[in-house]
Amino acid sequence: MGLDDTERERLRERFKEYGRTGDRAIRDQLIEAHLRLAEHLARRFSNRGVALDDLIQVAALGLVKAVERFDPERGLEFSTFATPTIVGELKRHFRDKGWAVRVPRRVQELHVEINTLVGELTQRLGRSPTIAELARLAGTSEEDVLEAMEAAQAYRSASIDAPTGTGDEDSRGLAAQLGDEDVNLFDAENRMLIADLLTALPKREQLMLRLRFYDGMTQSQIADRLGISQMHVSRLLAKSLAMLRERVEATER
Amino acid sequence: MIDDEIRLALPAAPDFARLARLTAAGLANRVDFTYDEVEDLRIAVGEACLVLIGPEGRSGTIDLVFRITTDGLEVEATGRFEADGSVDHPSDLSVHILDAVVDEHEVLASGRTVRLRKRRARR
Repeated sequence: MGLDDTERERLRERFKEYGRTGDRAIRDQLIEAHLRLAEHLARRFSNRGVALDDLIQVAALGLVKAVERFDPERGLEFSTFATPTIVGELKRHFRDKGWAVRVPRRVQELHVEINTLVGELTQRLGRSPTIAELARLAGTSEEDVLEAMEAAQAYRSASIDAPTGTGDEDSRGLAAQLGDEDVNLFDAENRMLIADLLTALPKREQLMLRLRFYDGMTQSQIADRLGISQMHVSRLLAKSLAMLRERVEATER
Repeated sequence: MIDDEIRLALPAAPDFARLARLTAAGLANRVDFTYDEVEDLRIAVGEACLVLIGPEGRSGTIDLVFRITTDGLEVEATGRFEADGSVDHPSDLSVHILDAVVDEHEVLASGRTVRLRKRRARR
């Protein structure tokens, strides 16, 4: 791919260093240095109904795998080694993923936009907006809005049903989630108060707080589990905490 | 008035649960659910599919019946599987999730049907 000999030698050294240290910064440099190879291969698969940008992303994923697996000691050129890996990734994209996972860029962008609009509208209206209101504001159809909402799911569909690792009820309670300086706030009395107030919250808010603080899931784990966007999780959590705070303050008066 | 009914039969694989969710979202919009309510129903339908087929899917189909009622939507998801044996009891987490996002839910005795009901909030 048009690299001269000194550049090639320098990269070879970097590969050896990465092999020794596993340093992510070096890995990232190596990936960037070969992005043009990924792009070049992605172009060979364009005009098959998938946006080139999406193909380049798939190819880049193949490149990442190739960088991680490449062993410079074997004397192979990296591009020779990486090409089949990247092409394999592209072919697999067409074969396996099919429509189920291929979310067009347009829908992905709309997904992000809708998320922002939901926050703004909820605040302005003091209630959850309707799909029609969102569509009007985004200048698109209601069907497109619904599709964009589902896209949260689609481009993570490999992980949605993966075990979250928090299935059993043992582990961390609310207190374990808090920093040291907060421990005193959560003496037994307060904990009972919180428990009482929690059960008085609407169920959706209870669920969010339970998943986040009792099961100790991160926002993105919750989003994956429920198949909704992380922004929606974040919004629901903020609302739940605000309701809880309101009630705590009410009891203190 | 006879409620409108929409039927959908899908392979019992996680990939197709997306179609069930998308259909549910489309119908929820038809009956004027808000964004939050649409999200709730999507979560519920996804969870119902998960309860029936598990994370790996099963061989067979899921039959979904959506009913548009005067005040919301009802969904009935039934697994028709090739292998015998009933479905695992829904996990505590699944029950909590369903509790949180729909007004009513039940797993029928056969263990192969999940019924959901969600009403539109009064506005």
